[in-house]
Amino acid sequence: MKTLRVLYHLARADFLERTRRYSFLLMLGLVLWLGYLSASGQFRMRVPPDYLGVINSAWVGATMTITVTLLLGWFGFYLVKGSVSRDYETGVGQIMATTPLSRPLYTAGKWLSNFAVLALMILMLALVGIAMNLLVGTADFNLWALSAPLLFVALPCMALVAAIAVLFDTISWLRGGLGNIVYFCGFMFALATTAATISTSAADNPLLDVAGFRLIGGSVAQAARAAYPEASSGFAFSITELANPRLFMWNGIAWTPRIVLPRVALLLLALGLALLAAAFFDRFNPTRVWWSKRKPAERGQPGAVAPAAAMPIASARLTPLTGTRGRFRLDALLMAELKLFLKGQPWWWYAIALCLVAAQLFTELTITRVLLVAAWTWPILILSGLGCREARHDTRQIVFSAPHPLLHQLPAAWLSACAVLALLGSGALLRFILAGETISILGWLTGVVFISSLALAAGVLTGSSKAFEVIYVFLMYMQTQQFPPFDFMGMTPASPWYGYALLAGLLLIAAAFARRLQLTTRGAVR
Amino acid sequence: MKLTIEHLSKQYRRDLWGLRDFDLELQPGVYGLLGPNGAGKSTLMRMLATITQPTAGAIRWNDADIGKSPDVLRAVLGYLPQDFGVYPNLTGLEFLEYMAAIKGLDGKSARRRIDELLIVVNLVDAARRPLGGYSGGMKQRVGIAQALLNDPQLLIVDEPTVGLDPEERVRFRNLLSDLSGERIIILSTHIVSDVEAVATEIVVVSQGRKLQQATPEKLLQRLDGQVWQWLAATDELAALKQKHVLSGTVRHTNGMQVRVVSDTAPTRDAQSVPANLEDVYLSLVAANGSGA
Repeated sequence: MKTLRVLYHLARADFLERTRRYSFLLMLGLVLWLGYLSASGQFRMRVPPDYLGVINSAWVGATMTITVTLLLGWFGFYLVKGSVSRDYETGVGQIMATTPLSRPLYTAGKWLSNFAVLALMILMLALVGIAMNLLVGTADFNLWALSAPLLFVALPCMALVAAIAVLFDTISWLRGGLGNIVYFCGFMFALATTAATISTSAADNPLLDVAGFRLIGGSVAQAARAAYPEASSGFAFSITELANPRLFMWNGIAWTPRIVLPRVALLLLALGLALLAAAFFDRFNPTRVWWSKRKPAERGQPGAVAPAAAMPIASARLTPLTGTRGRFRLDALLMAELKLFLKGQPWWWYAIALCLVAAQLFTELTITRVLLVAAWTWPILILSGLGCREARHDTRQIVFSAPHPLLHQLPAAWLSACAVLALLGSGALLRFILAGETISILGWLTGVVFISSLALAAGVLTGSSKAFEVIYVFLMYMQTQQFPPFDFMGMTPASPWYGYALLAGLLLIAAAFARRLQLTTRGAVR
Repeated sequence: MKLTIEHLSKQYRRDLWGLRDFDLELQPGVYGLLGPNGAGKSTLMRMLATITQPTAGAIRWNDADIGKSPDVLRAVLGYLPQDFGVYPNLTGLEFLEYMAAIKGLDGKSARRRIDELLIVVNLVDAARRPLGGYSGGMKQRVGIAQALLNDPQLLIVDEPTVGLDPEERVRFRNLLSDLSGERIIILSTHIVSDVEAVATEIVVVSQGRKLQQATPEKLLQRLDGQVWQWLAATDELAALKQKHVLSGTVRHTNGMQVRVVSDTAPTRDAQSVPANLEDVYLSLVAANGSGA
């Protein structure tokens, strides 16, 4: 009983802390909008090329479920991740560490809180679905048909996401930006695996189909074939507009124990992962992190420097300053920002960066482009600190009380990012110039400016590095897919680089405006 | 050189004021800002440091409104916030170089100034080591050094001695005394002895309002003949706390030596003793109805 009480309060405090943040409200708004899109039929499940289900309760519920597992399965992780880190940063963890609270209880509490946040979003989504189904549904309203897929597919999927977030939070090297990238790669891999095996079997193994793609897709395809025998066994989820869709009736999945029980078992798996996280959790004792090879200085442990021999108290004197003060020196500031940008990386970071630049010079143009993507992705964890470094390290009061923080420091920080990107992409630029690849050159220039502006704007606007890491890793993945709408780097002849150049300008204006607001209101520092 | 604060107010919420109708005029000297937790000291400091803007009123630096042109003040400002962070991967030296660039110091002056400051704050040996490995006191000293980088005409230090060991605290007090002269120094703290040691004038703040502004001598004169000391029984203590402003207690084998601020002698045994700033501060705050 006492354990349950501790668990409840642990999860409750964390849940309240998170739901009172602006980021939660933003995410909730986004989820409600996604719910509207899926319930109104703008997000479509279809059987290729144009077989579409009649909008009924089961269809709305299933569409929303796929929307949730695909989008909240991705973004939701970033939303809930960081609860353990917060206890490190705020120092609350050190207080907790002195209580009898056990490690498994702590990680289970964090999992419950993560799960509660994501479950609340699903609940809100269900409410939107009910409202929309009553408004636009063409068949009778059926609450069970609408909510069952959310209950049996979306909810266990979110439980798993919540547990993975706790696991990443407790493993020191996955706690930061690297964890965000690893999750994205894992998520894309899981999705690709599910999509590749969608037509192989409708009998689902929930472990291979956490998102419910195979389960729902298989059932939908079966219903389409029953109505139109020529229909394929495939399944797609898209925003494609269909001119003359061929409609069929789908009444949902028969939720038999054979289907439900393995899904419910996912909840147990999630709980197991949360408890496994306890094994990695150092209980806020940095000395227990035996696998970490970081220097004590990087772990922020005090006392790593031997105290200096005391100077005679009366010996210290300062000469009055005669030089200029408050004058903008771009060169000095740029060098200082660059140093801040590049310091703290291990030697192999620079070695790999150098190899990536050199490789761009000696490979075929197609490979050079891929290497450019790699070279510009390489400094993601440094770029993500742009604009939010002052908030992350709490240097805002010191930095913002210096002269012209908006006109001096912000442009210098942006230029330092441009300089690093230009350096990392210098091999490719040379190749593009020699080959006379105009689009690639323009894409390269746009890339330098756009990435720096995106990093700065995301950092200033959110005060966190997470937003940039999520967006950037997605954008760079899209570069490798050479998908024209996202091709800001000039990877293809159809690249809309000019649009991104314009967007870069807008992002810069947004960053400057937001920083100005932070400087003139109590928003930045209280 | 003059810093004027006119009817300054800061409202956080409808029913929560950080500072209310605050007036102050400062000439060169060391001003000790004393007040209990939540009195509004840090709110005032942040507004003076151009970090936050007032809800009403104005701050003028040599008659220039810093709400409209904050950079007039920022060029000559040194600020040590109560809570601040550092970049853990930079060394102490690199952090100071970075701050010097941000403050717009020319290279030669910056280098000389940083060298001197490292000696002054006793960080010469640790200067080339990453800040992530510094102790709390060492970080505080880096904070002090960055505040002094541009040889500020207005130096604002918020709880500067927090985390410093006794020797460093003495060193810092001496440094403030050395720096006073042709500059305005505002020292905010609730450690009365820090203010007592260096302040030329003391401003007592409570519940967002100014309670008193005077030299330490004048403040002490206020309580002439009003501070009493005697040996009381331990079980009398609770009753005494209800009745008087208790400014000190020391346990003895035969009871408790109490120190009380009162217009008249509280008991026949009470002896009049010279007042100190702690007595003055506590009586002022108690009279205003807020506890420390």
